[in-house]
Formats: sequence, structure tokens, C-alpha cells
Amino acid sequence: MISAVLAAVIPALYWAQPVETAPAVRQAGIERLCVPPGAAAAWRAAGLTVSPLGDDERSRRTTLGPVGLRSRPDLASASARPWVFANGWRFQRAPGGRYWCDAPTGRAALAAAEAFAYGADVVLAIDPSDLEAFGRMLAFLSSVPDSALRPAADVAVVDDGSPTVGEVLNLMARRNLLFEVVPREIPDGLLNVRVGSAEFPRKDARDPEAFALSVRHRLTDERRSLRIFGSEVVLARLLRDAGHARLHLLNYGGRPIDGLRVVLRGSWAPVEARVFGESAAGAEELVASGGATELTLPTLGPYAIVDLVSPPRP
Amino acid sequence: MDRRAFLELLAAAPLVPAARAGSAVPSYRAVSRFAPAAVPGMPGPWPGRVVSVRSPRCLDEAGTLVDADVVREMTDRGMRALTGETTALGAWRRFFEPRDVVGIKVNAGGGPHVVSSPPIVAEICRNLVAVGVPASSIVVFERFRDQLEGIGYPAHLPEGVGVFAAEAGNERTQNRAYDPETYVDVDFFGEEDTRSNMMRLVTGRLTKIVNVPNMKDHGATGVTGCLKNVAYGCFSNVARSHARGQTHTLTAVGTFAAVEPLRSRCVLQIMDGLRAVWHGGPFARTTRYVFHPRRILFGTDPVAIDRLLLDVIDDKRKAEGAISIWDRSPKHLRVEDADARDADPDVNILIREPGHVAYASHLGLGTADLARIRVEEIEV
Repeated sequence: MISAVLAAVIPALYWAQPVETAPAVRQAGIERLCVPPGAAAAWRAAGLTVSPLGDDERSRRTTLGPVGLRSRPDLASASARPWVFANGWRFQRAPGGRYWCDAPTGRAALAAAEAFAYGADVVLAIDPSDLEAFGRMLAFLSSVPDSALRPAADVAVVDDGSPTVGEVLNLMARRNLLFEVVPREIPDGLLNVRVGSAEFPRKDARDPEAFALSVRHRLTDERRSLRIFGSEVVLARLLRDAGHARLHLLNYGGRPIDGLRVVLRGSWAPVEARVFGESAAGAEELVASGGATELTLPTLGPYAIVDLVSPPRP
Repeated sequence: MDRRAFLELLAAAPLVPAARAGSAVPSYRAVSRFAPAAVPGMPGPWPGRVVSVRSPRCLDEAGTLVDADVVREMTDRGMRALTGETTALGAWRRFFEPRDVVGIKVNAGGGPHVVSSPPIVAEICRNLVAVGVPASSIVVFERFRDQLEGIGYPAHLPEGVGVFAAEAGNERTQNRAYDPETYVDVDFFGEEDTRSNMMRLVTGRLTKIVNVPNMKDHGATGVTGCLKNVAYGCFSNVARSHARGQTHTLTAVGTFAAVEPLRSRCVLQIMDGLRAVWHGGPFARTTRYVFHPRRILFGTDPVAIDRLLLDVIDDKRKAEGAISIWDRSPKHLRVEDADARDADPDVNILIREPGHVAYASHLGLGTADLARIRVEEIEV
């Protein structure tokens, strides 16, 4: 199974504020935006590049969940781990989809980064107070060179389109278990996970958290391409080929994390670490051990990208 | 082998028989580039030996104010008795030399009522300086700054002594003060972040550590004394060892304490028993469960001191009519209900694991057999 090559897609801003906010939009570095059709002419007159986006188009788009970390007092504690709301698994499940996201206040930059990391076509409606941060994130994303790398996967999940499999994907992504969504089991060495198989009975998927853990145990940590240490609220996306890798790190916790430790299976050397909000970033404390490469990201705000190469063997 | 010489050991693998029957022992993998000292600090040169110095005068009648002069006398007597030296200076010289960089591992978690007393910490600093250790080479340390700041150690300490916390608070966002190459990897409950890293201060700067725990009850371990103060006080990401009424502290406390260089560098145990907590620990937010043993224990064997502590806390609980720290009855368990625990000494929020002390003895950290522990009692 060959995964689709990701193309860098800068998420679009949907802006329903009056045209009088044009200076603020420009001040945020944003020159392109989606606006209600009735306001398009005025925005064009103000000198911005706009795409009209009406209710029809909005309703055709799949609405995403609000990204971030939330407490769920309405639910019994199924897990002591924080509840992370992330959409990466949805993008992986339907990579050609078109999405709409109402970004929660304070999460616009993260939502934009998430969409970018997965190359997803997302229109983001944001709180006006997030305009400046959103603009900075768009500028950051625009500075990232394109990549033709393919998503890495350790697990192939057979998707029957059911909500049950959707929750399994969600909670596997939550654990940074790298998966590929496939229509049927594949023979190329990945761990096949088909809900309803002898190894993964359907009844077990009624507790998707436990199910994802059972996938991890079946795979074993030693065979995982990626591990994250120092946080339970950072989700990663790894793209790679034989000689290059790109690691997207999304921090859903809302607070910067210092000293995030990343472990990648294989021999890698970081080329560049781009950390949103940090002018001078870099990966530190590189260690090769046990067939894996470890590095520390000194600080991580909502988003970072680490590019790596596989060094020539001596 | 890569650029580092990793010493990896499956710490718990040979110790399964020592664990509680019927309980799965997690698989621990300790990663450290440090070799043990010829005589590791724990249990040190005096395994099984404890000097207990008691003074009714060390606190005022209310148990509020500490008499620093009495603490000095207690410390001198205790250190001389432990080492057999005739002078306090000679006693401290058995452990420290001027070129050492000394960490004093305090316990600030029992604020405001039961923390490592500033007069005891100050007395330790005074003796270190007397040995010739520069004040700038002494660091009072703890994991969380928000706990340390409430105590106000700097006002009590010689100028130049450092006060260090690894994290602002228990929020799991600050890892920079921990060594990414010295850690214990263990999966307790299926968590993803399976590493607990040792403080860089311990691996990179300190040459010796004085451990200054309190006498406290603990909801997970039964008591928190020497072992837990260094084990859970020098590693990141340790609270994950207990969840939903269950705790793996039986094996985790000793396993963490045994990791190098912590084990070798922790050379002296001074347990602050001026005040103590018999329920609700490790916290002491009210005085309801505070009592006053008015003692300081000295030794190099953390297991022996903690074995005595088990009885101190359990005897007090019995005297108060509370369930034992060894009670494992489900009927006393109110999972994650800290309010109920704080209100009722017969409520546990976890099945306690006081057996962690005996388990640590099997790791070679000291002597848990009361018949082999020699206690010298001194009254000041």
C-alpha cells in the first residue's frame, strides 16, 4: 500500500468580521482569506485577496472537533491521561476531505498547524483575538519548504468506516502509534489491525483506549518508529523515506513544554528544527543507542518541525 | 556500544519473589552511564545502624518553634555517635571534603506544617562550611519550586548556599532540569511517557547528597522517609506509579533509589522527626494529624531508618485508633477521594505499600530486618 504524498497546504482563514478590520488583518500578515459572499466585494476593494465562502460550501465541509486539551467532568474517568482533542486521525482517514474548523479561543495557531501537518484542506474560523497569533503561524508555515516524504507507519488499520474504528484511530493517534488506514489487510510487514479479527475482537474495541493499548503491546515499543517523552499531550506526525525524515510535533496542552525528548527508530541526524515562536531553535543532546536516535527539543510551543537525514554509513 | 557506555540493568527481574504475591512486577529498565562507587552511599559504611537523638527541648510546647541551639546539640551528638568521632568536625569530615559539591535533599511537600526544618538544614550547611565546603558548593534542592518557596530557606542559610528546584510545579511541562541520558523506563499503567529521568543536578554537579526527609505517613507507600525522598524527589514523572487505587511503589521506590549515581552519592541520612504526620501524608495542610516525636535520626542506611519509621507512624495510628498502614481491606478504600481521606483516618485512597522498605533491602540498599538494626538512643 502506497500512501499519498503530502503536499503542503496552508489553511485558509474564514473571516466574518466587517471590512473595517482590514488593517488588523493586514497587520497580522494575512493577505488571503475567505469571507461571506456578500462581503467579498468590499474586501477586494480593501485590497485583499478573498474567496467567497457561503453557507453551502460550509455545509459541504466536514466540521472538525475543537483542538486542544479539555477536562471532561461529564464523563467517568476512563483514563488518568489528559483528554486531547485532535483531528489528525480524521485527516488520515479521509485525506482528500474538505474540512471546517471553529477554532477555540487561544487555539487558532494550533489548529492551523494541525491542518498543515497533515496537508489537510481546512477552513478555519477563529476568534478575532487570535488574529495576530494565527497570522504569525501562517507566516511560519509559509516558510517551511515543501516535502515529498511519505507518512511513516508501523500499523495498518483496516477501516470499515464505522465509528468504532474511528475511535480506535483516534486513540491510536493519541498514543503516537503511527498507522496507515487501509481498506484491507496488507502483506508488507506492518502490524495489521482489523477490528473483528481473532487478534483484535470487536468486543475489545468497545473500550478504544484499552484497544489502542493492546495494539501497542502487540506491536511492542521496540518496533515503534517514534516515541515521545516528557509530555503526554504532544502528538507527532512522521514523514520519511530512506534518507530523509520530517517530524511534525503538535503540542495540544496550551503551555510550552521544555525539554521534549524524541526517539526515532533508525539512525538520523537533525538538519534543522523549526520551532514556532523561537527564532533560534535546534535539536540538542543527540544520542544514538539501541538502533534508535534520541534528541531533545529545548522548547516546544504549539508546533515544531524537525527535518532529519539518515547519515551515510562509515 | 555508542558514544556512551550505558549500563543497563533489569532491576526488578531477579526480584519477583520479593514482591507481593499475586501482584505483577513492572519491568524496569534503568539506564545510566555512571558506575557505582567502591562503597555506595546507600547503605554506606554503617548498614543497619541508626542513631536516634531525642530532645523535649527542640520545639516549644506548641511544637511550632524550633530551638536552633538544641538542634545543633542534637546534630553534634548524633553525628559523633554515628561515626565514633570525638568531635563534630571529625564526624562531618568522614563524609565530606572541601572539594565536594553537596546537595541537601529536603522535603517540602508537607508544607506548611511538616517540612525539612530550616534550622536542621542550616545546621547541616554550617557543618559543611566548617569542613571547608564553600557555601557556593552547597545546594538545597527539591523538585517543585512552588513548594520550596513557601518555606523560605534562604533566610536561614549561609550566604551563597544555593536553593534549587527542578520544576515550577507538578505540571509536567518542564523537563530541562532532568538528565535525558539517566532514567528508569517502566510502563506502570499503559502510559505513553514511560521514562522517569534523574535530575541533572544529581548527575552533573553534585558529588555528595545529604538526605533530609521527614517522618510522614504516605497514602501510597505507607510512609515517606529516606527512600522515597530521594527516589521520588530526584526523578521526573513519578506520580504515574499510582492510579485508580493501585500503586506500584512497592517496587518503584527502591528501584529508583538504586540508580547510579544517586545511590552512590547519597552518603548521609538525617531524618527530621521534630514534627511528623500520622495521616493524610505526604501532605500536612492542617495540624490535625501532626504530632511531635522531637527526634532526629542519623545514619547511612536509608532502609534501616525507614524500617523504624514504619513503626513510628503505625504505632501513632494505633494510638489514635486509626487503621494500620498495612491495612489492605477494600472496605477502607475510597479511590481518588482525597477529601474523604483527609476527613477520616480510616480511609485510604490507594492500597498502601509499606513493603517497599523491605523490597529496597533486597536491592541492597540497606537492612530491613529489625533484628539486625542497631539503634542507639540519645537524649539531649
